[in-house]
Amino acid sequence: MSQEYPIRIYKRPELRQSCLVLGWGGDIGNLGWKVTDYLNWRLKGEEFAEIEPEDFFYLGGVAIEDNLARFPESRFHVCQEYELVVFQSVSPGMQWYKFLNAVLDVAERHCQTKELYILGTMVSFRAHTAPRELLAVVNSAEMKEVLSRYDLAGDMDYETQPGERPTLNSFLLWIAKGRNIPGVSLWVPIPFYLTAMEDAQAEKKVLGFLNERLNLKIDFSDLDRRIREQNEQLARARSRFPQIDDHISRLESNLMLSQEENGELIKKIEDFLREGG
Amino acid sequence: MKADLGSAMGIRFHQKPQLENPILIASWPGIGNIGIIAVDTLRAVLEAEELGEIEPWDFFYPRRILIRKGILEYLEFPSSKFYFKRIEGNDIVFFIGEEQPSEGGRVYAQGRKAYQMANLVLDVAEEFECRRVYTSGAAVALTHHTVKPRVWAVPNSESLIPEIKGYDNTVLMSDIEGRGGQGNITGLNGLLLGVAKKRGFEGVCLMGEIPVYLQGLPLSYPRASSSVLEVLTRSLRINVNLDKLDELDRNVQQRIEDFYQQIPLEIRGQLDRLRQVSYAQPAEPGPITEEEEKRIIEDIEKFFKKRGGGG
Repeated sequence: MSQEYPIRIYKRPELRQSCLVLGWGGDIGNLGWKVTDYLNWRLKGEEFAEIEPEDFFYLGGVAIEDNLARFPESRFHVCQEYELVVFQSVSPGMQWYKFLNAVLDVAERHCQTKELYILGTMVSFRAHTAPRELLAVVNSAEMKEVLSRYDLAGDMDYETQPGERPTLNSFLLWIAKGRNIPGVSLWVPIPFYLTAMEDAQAEKKVLGFLNERLNLKIDFSDLDRRIREQNEQLARARSRFPQIDDHISRLESNLMLSQEENGELIKKIEDFLREGG
Repeated sequence: MKADLGSAMGIRFHQKPQLENPILIASWPGIGNIGIIAVDTLRAVLEAEELGEIEPWDFFYPRRILIRKGILEYLEFPSSKFYFKRIEGNDIVFFIGEEQPSEGGRVYAQGRKAYQMANLVLDVAEEFECRRVYTSGAAVALTHHTVKPRVWAVPNSESLIPEIKGYDNTVLMSDIEGRGGQGNITGLNGLLLGVAKKRGFEGVCLMGEIPVYLQGLPLSYPRASSSVLEVLTRSLRINVNLDKLDELDRNVQQRIEDFYQQIPLEIRGQLDRLRQVSYAQPAEPGPITEEEEKRIIEDIEKFFKKRGGGG
């Protein structure tokens, strides 16, 4: 094991030209964590490094989630056969520049990383029956050209609005640009009433793109089954509760719900899915 | 001696002029933005030239992004810039920080980042052999918005006290009733003064008074900035035209008056008594007793809690 504070390397991966996929825990629908977990599971990712937490997280105790004590983790996995590095972490609470540079230090110095894929989510006010989109923001015109042959919405114009701040993903993409690492920040919109649960379709959208782009050859039949099950659960919710059906039907007709109706829909769907649907 | 600041952080100079007998005037945002408005007004009126800046990325989270046609064009960070102005052998170096470097959502800097930032600013003061450092901020006081704000001056050396005693409309902490010469200057406007002392610079923090009932409002308080500038410009023996600051003050005073009229009559009655506080002889007790002072502060706090914030 070697120490290059704040990085701890357990094993040196043998990579020639890798891609780094990065997902955050605790984002909308916990999608970043789920997608990176899935990649590690299916591609037999092996943990080889981590970032020490003390400079980046408040360590005044532990958080409890789903009955379990949680501790901030920032771990690197390698899927050797696919020249793929997977980084999973909770978003740091401070010293972001140092943290993001530590991630790219591991990628560049130990993994010969040539491309960066950053996972993100956003809230959508469309129904779950609408196809999921995948939005992309790149850090170079060359990367845009490379990705133009994929099913991505990549012509977005955006400027930070008053009271808002850029995302950590944008910060990382900008630092990668400074290091001449081509990168893309991927954004998948998740229907607002699924954000606290999961959205298997959104996961599939991101994984499908990565599968194609990185030539991972993953068979998604297990994920397709989860999507079917989730859609069936939501269909049962619609048939049992006319109010849910009414709200979702209006979303399907591109109508907006009131704030109160949004809240009702979220609560009813979450209660229904938690009870096992 | 320069502090060990690590290789990731640095100062980028646009030019390195020869300066004569300079002083440094620095400020960051704070309550009522009193200090930063004062310093930035002086910088603008004197048409100071840009000198350099502290590289922001290790101190700040970005504040603005621009994406065009799906490509990240740029990320903007809060700036921390130096300027200079030559004034016949009494040159001035300005430092203006758009934000205080903070961690975990705190408004005022503290800890390692704040200390590093203060040291970087003083590295520049050392580079140009500045003989003195001024900072500026706010002093929350039991005063009224129609009363001319005083300036509380805190030096970092005993030897500066006689000079400060000669300034108009200025008090030392020992002049403030009930303070006994004690107090605290929060954030970098205060920390810089302490680090300056540690590194052997003489320094003074000039704090303009802001009424206690305005400290939590999202309003600047240029009236106090004017008071700070009066003291500062006299101390530096320079004359500047502050018409623009007066105009800003008139606009803000109108908004303050609108807010003031929304305060319940009973509390406003208490606050109105602050109009009578006279500072002609600051060591003498004013027309408000200690008991009444306590009650006024309690009433104001209750009012803001009821309004759902404001603090």
